[in-house]
Amino acid sequence: MTDLLNELGAAHEQQQFGILDEYSKREIRRAILTAVAVPGYQVPFGSREMPVARGWGSGGLQLTLAVISPSDVIKVIDQGDDQGVNAVNLRRLIVQSTKVPETTTASDASIVQSRHRIPEDGLDEQDILILQVPVPEPLRGVERDMRELSRMHAEADYSKMWVSLYEDKVRNGVITQTTGYPCLVNDRYVIATTPIPRWDIPRLDQSPFLTLFGAGREKRIYAVPPYTAVTPLTFEDVPFEVEHTPGASCSQCGSNKTFLVEIPGPTSRWVCSDTDWCERNSGKA
Amino acid sequence: MGYSGARGGIDAIEAAEKLVRRKRLNAECEWVSPQQIVGRLRLAVDRVMGEAGIWDEELTAIAIRQAEGDLIEAVHLLRSYKSTLPRFAYSKPIDVDELQVVRRIVPAFRNPPGPQLLGRTTDYTGRLLELTSEQASQEESMLLSSLALTEKAETVDSIASAQDTQPRRLLETLREMDLLVDRRRDDDPEPFDITRTPARPPASRSARLSSMARAETGALVNQWYRNILGPDGYVHEVTLGEVRHGYLALSIEHPLTGNTISIGMVRVTEVEAIEDLNGIDEQRDRFDIGYGLCLGHNEKKAIAMANLDIACHRDNGRSQLEQSLLLTTDGLDSSGFLEHLKLPHYVTFRSMVERKLAVRKSRTSERDS
Repeated sequence: MTDLLNELGAAHEQQQFGILDEYSKREIRRAILTAVAVPGYQVPFGSREMPVARGWGSGGLQLTLAVISPSDVIKVIDQGDDQGVNAVNLRRLIVQSTKVPETTTASDASIVQSRHRIPEDGLDEQDILILQVPVPEPLRGVERDMRELSRMHAEADYSKMWVSLYEDKVRNGVITQTTGYPCLVNDRYVIATTPIPRWDIPRLDQSPFLTLFGAGREKRIYAVPPYTAVTPLTFEDVPFEVEHTPGASCSQCGSNKTFLVEIPGPTSRWVCSDTDWCERNSGKA
Repeated sequence: MGYSGARGGIDAIEAAEKLVRRKRLNAECEWVSPQQIVGRLRLAVDRVMGEAGIWDEELTAIAIRQAEGDLIEAVHLLRSYKSTLPRFAYSKPIDVDELQVVRRIVPAFRNPPGPQLLGRTTDYTGRLLELTSEQASQEESMLLSSLALTEKAETVDSIASAQDTQPRRLLETLREMDLLVDRRRDDDPEPFDITRTPARPPASRSARLSSMARAETGALVNQWYRNILGPDGYVHEVTLGEVRHGYLALSIEHPLTGNTISIGMVRVTEVEAIEDLNGIDEQRDRFDIGYGLCLGHNEKKAIAMANLDIACHRDNGRSQLEQSLLLTTDGLDSSGFLEHLKLPHYVTFRSMVERKLAVRKSRTSERDS
């Protein structure tokens, strides 16, 4: 026991690798293992307070710090952009506390922490995508009581969700769910796909990489393991629609095969949300 | 520049940080030491310690200073600091009867067993802004410090006897009068540790109490008031049996020798709230008790907590009061999520605009067909 105390004391004389103490990391890794073993199930975990505010990627940050090792290479994006202010801040915290190399190129990274986008390319079997999740509960729009919510997930009773999608279609002519589209994972659990755009949903289905979802404020972790079915909830005769604006293409690289965001103005134009992909492909299209 | 898509994010962030540091460290006034903050902003320090779940006045003062007085931000600094530290031990269970009171009031009786000890309170002082000159204040301060020693001795004398510093609880009197529902349990379950397992309804009472003990003071006061006056209305106004402020000794088991060793004292506020049971399925001839305890001197919080504790027990899962208490009263959760709205949201917003246009298009094609 005194050895243990000495060891722990010594560890704290230097800066802690990856901010969190080792017991906390172990606890988070155990929750991750459960999440991978039961795809789509929201695993409760003892979310720690991080040096970033809750709602600002504290869940994603805990996942990254729990799985990162000195041989990793990290990429951090916010809205697809490596230079977004919060991405910069998170990356700085991760790099300062672990000394791992950073990159903006997805194919060079072994861990990608992201707010709301899957990089357009470069993720493979060796990689982990960590998504920051503001609201992990896909059914909150149709049910507020947490006791009832846990029953619904336990019994795979998603009828209220289906009714709400049906009513949406009948009232509005289309399903108006925007980002974070509800998906069935491995034919069992419905998940909230963070708010990644619908554009990214087909890219989550049977993806070669592991995707971890971290909700720090709501203290939940869930996962889509590699090569797992991710099926957006929709009806047989109502095709799932991704964001698409006819005729739009990136004003920088010319792409019309990436997720584009609008720059409004007198002459509105479009650019890729994945800034790194756009830079690498500029001039090629 | 640097907010979102623009390049140079790191330069913008560093410039913002520099501005904060320069203005904070280089303000055109005297330096504030942690001792000054502990000594002169006692209630702010106590409140932050309670919400952070940390007993350390000096660290708290440093956090308040770094946060420029934003108390929720100070709580955040302390809690994230705590995340870097391993947990060596759990303190031993405390018998709260060992609380050494420096203040104790019993609103339920004029002459309760034990003293009515007002202690340090402004409850009965007119709220008049003291516009005395700085010089007069400092002179008063000097005069008081010369008197401090003798005064201290007197205070200790006046509350010297054990029954005065550890008075019997009104609870015991009510039990003797056979006026209380007996909810004492003879098993001894481990308390729920909210820092290691998220508390979700239905939760144990210890989970509810620890969530409230760490809750943001304003959030808890608001939960109480909206339940009194707002549309929810699950709370019934209580009569306070005990409001105490005092010192509690903490001990742990020594990891090597197994002996119990004292690790110091904390100050706490403790409240017992007497509830008039008036529900049709309740014992109409008895009272029940709600309990509140938090670190530091924070009576608003402990009173709200005690009243919400008994309200939640009586509600017994009929409403979503428990969910509200467990999930919406943490200051870091609510303010962090609120402030995240300042982050770039253009991916989600693009998706929303696209759906608006899709709805419009669908309506147009419906009309045309």
